[in-house]
Amino acid sequence: MTRTALRAGLTTAAIGLLAVFATACGSDEEAQAGAKTLSFTLTDAGCDPHNAEAPAGPINFEIENGGSGGVTELEVLDGETILGEKENLTEGLSGSFSLTLEEGEYTLRCNGGEEEDGTLKVTGKPRAQNSPEVGAAIAGYRDYLEKNTAELVAKTEPFVDAVLAGEIEQAKSLYAAARIPYERIEPVAESFGDLDPRIDARENDVPKSEWGGFHRIEKALWEEDTAKGVAPVAEQLLADVEELQQKAKTVDLQAAQIANGANELLSEVSASKITGEEERYSHIDLVDFEANVEGAQVAFESVEPLLSGQNPKLAKEIEADFEEVYADLKPYRRGDGFVSYTTLAPADTRKLAQSIDALAEKLSQVPAEIVA
Amino acid sequence: MSPITRRNLLRSAGIGAAGVGLGAGGYLVGRESAEAGGEGTGSVPFYGEHQAGIATRAQDRLHFAAFDLETESRSELRELMREWSLAAAEMTVGELVGDVNNLPLAPPDDTGETVGLLPSSLTVTFGFGPSLFEKPGLGLSGKRPAALKPIPPLPADELNELESGGDICVQACSEDPQVAFHAIRNLARIGRGTVTMRWSQLGFGRTSSTSRSQDTPRNLMGMKDGTANIRAEDGDAMRRFVWLGSGDAPAWMRGGTYMVTRRIRMLLEIWDRSSLEDQEHTIGRHKYSGAPLGESEEFDPLPLDAERNGSPVIPVDAHVRLASAEASGGERILRRGYSFTDGVDERLGELEAGLFFICFQRDPERQFVAIQRRLGANDALNEYIKHVGSAVFAIPPAARDGGFVGETLLS
Repeated sequence: MTRTALRAGLTTAAIGLLAVFATACGSDEEAQAGAKTLSFTLTDAGCDPHNAEAPAGPINFEIENGGSGGVTELEVLDGETILGEKENLTEGLSGSFSLTLEEGEYTLRCNGGEEEDGTLKVTGKPRAQNSPEVGAAIAGYRDYLEKNTAELVAKTEPFVDAVLAGEIEQAKSLYAAARIPYERIEPVAESFGDLDPRIDARENDVPKSEWGGFHRIEKALWEEDTAKGVAPVAEQLLADVEELQQKAKTVDLQAAQIANGANELLSEVSASKITGEEERYSHIDLVDFEANVEGAQVAFESVEPLLSGQNPKLAKEIEADFEEVYADLKPYRRGDGFVSYTTLAPADTRKLAQSIDALAEKLSQVPAEIVA
Repeated sequence: MSPITRRNLLRSAGIGAAGVGLGAGGYLVGRESAEAGGEGTGSVPFYGEHQAGIATRAQDRLHFAAFDLETESRSELRELMREWSLAAAEMTVGELVGDVNNLPLAPPDDTGETVGLLPSSLTVTFGFGPSLFEKPGLGLSGKRPAALKPIPPLPADELNELESGGDICVQACSEDPQVAFHAIRNLARIGRGTVTMRWSQLGFGRTSSTSRSQDTPRNLMGMKDGTANIRAEDGDAMRRFVWLGSGDAPAWMRGGTYMVTRRIRMLLEIWDRSSLEDQEHTIGRHKYSGAPLGESEEFDPLPLDAERNGSPVIPVDAHVRLASAEASGGERILRRGYSFTDGVDERLGELEAGLFFICFQRDPERQFVAIQRRLGANDALNEYIKHVGSAVFAIPPAARDGGFVGETLLS
């Protein structure tokens, strides 16, 4: 479980917005489709209306001089920075400009008016307008996300049933299959605040009384050798993964965020899988390891078309490094699972850790490349 | 016999301060260093009211050691503390340890690697761990301070027992790494048979300022650390948050404090591949200026209420927000930690490095533990760190002239 993903999600959202809004470019005369239109009349008193409101996103400003000799322009400012304006609108003339604005308070200024400054209040979240390539990247990842949250629910159900029935060996055999879909898409789960700690917290991550989720049950099954007492935890786990499935359907995804999610997954591998800390009772850490890598690879492949145009060399190197990681995992594969983490020698974990570090170092360059 | 200082030893042998040769015994390598009294090369008094190494202007080097006591005899423990205090006092003024340093057929008392080196602001700080009070033979259980309890499990804990705890601790700080090492080495030698070193830690760069005369250093994440630390000049804050006063119990701790140490492994490989923005949002400060996010100067107050586009300028999980006195009901601690590296983590091929966190406070439970609990559950920094070692010690008052540290407890 990680905590920064929530914030990482927020900050990459900000990166995404920067790309869209950084210039708040004024495109003269040209109304944007789907934009909100605000109409103003220039009067001796100033702008009419004096104040205005609009939803965040593209806004068309249509201005007409209603017979004022002294007031011939309208400006939109953020602080004292002019974001857009229409000048030289003498009596009888009209004009327009467009801006894409994010939430906030801006100044509407009609220079020379009796009351020059009014307020433009922009509310709500803007809808970024994605290019077809970005749209395809997001759609591709969304499919993967929904497939895995559905699988998570489908695999958690029999696991929880076995726990509730007290069938310890059966529950143990179903545990890894339920973990895999979660580990593939964990960064998205982390974007929903306390849902990730509820599902995936390790002991001491949260106060004792609040500890639940997979690892609480893992401890009961492998260390305490009983399913007694964790029935409420199992029921809550099922409710939580179902909630995750619902929330994931409407989660707002952005390309840089998806790329960052790939990095988060590899950080997960480095921080807790390759050290054997994540699955400290069942020792199925290599199962999680592979699921994290698979999730990172799909996230990367979703945004790869955006990267290939910018930096094809980096894209190729990352592809090759993913293959290297799978090759390094291969000796530890047994059937459809992996050897227990406890059988790994330091030389084994070192090789795997270095393989991930090499891949992750390159992968970390992707978000900046694709929003550039 | 008048004490032989390490520098005079060289002078009396007819060579200069920067000299290199010493008689037939071979070479003692001196060092070209500034005269005592220059920046950081002088001596810090060992005797007094509070032990040195707490309010002392943070030196740049650390050697810390935790020992297990191998005896249950209180008189042996008392004798150890007496010998240790005497040796510490000698070393802090730049004298050789012990009296036997020139007998041809005897091993010298002092191990010798600081001959020619100045006192270099050496401080030696002793403390007693909770486990010391649980040894029945010592008969100290009734004297155990209520505030001296093992640190409970905390978020981000991945503790290694062999790097945690200890009956007695010795913190040696100096501007010269060899002087700090020499202190621990010689005390361990004096204690041989009575104590066994349980774990130790070298620190190569201070990560806190404890004086207004010091710049805020950077930790291994490249971030300024400890900007909001208590400064020794702030006597009110030291009394309120650090020192035990005349009204505090137990009486033997008056003038003392409690120390918490945490060996914090930084996951530098992961940190290094985080974007600048991510790094700054994790801490809540700008990386290069050290200013709080949204501000321009290091010492600007944290704009905890500031928002931009509906989100807090300093994220809700930023380290500075959660660690701020505002968020901890006004509780503060005196931090005095050091960066460390111990080579390579052989399991990962990654840097074995981080922060050896040291803090002082009147009540570990109410201060360090409460702050860490709140931090731990939500701190964005947890993504990049693990706490692998933990210990707590009661730091008794300083020895009075000619006395020894721990006298108030053991006599």
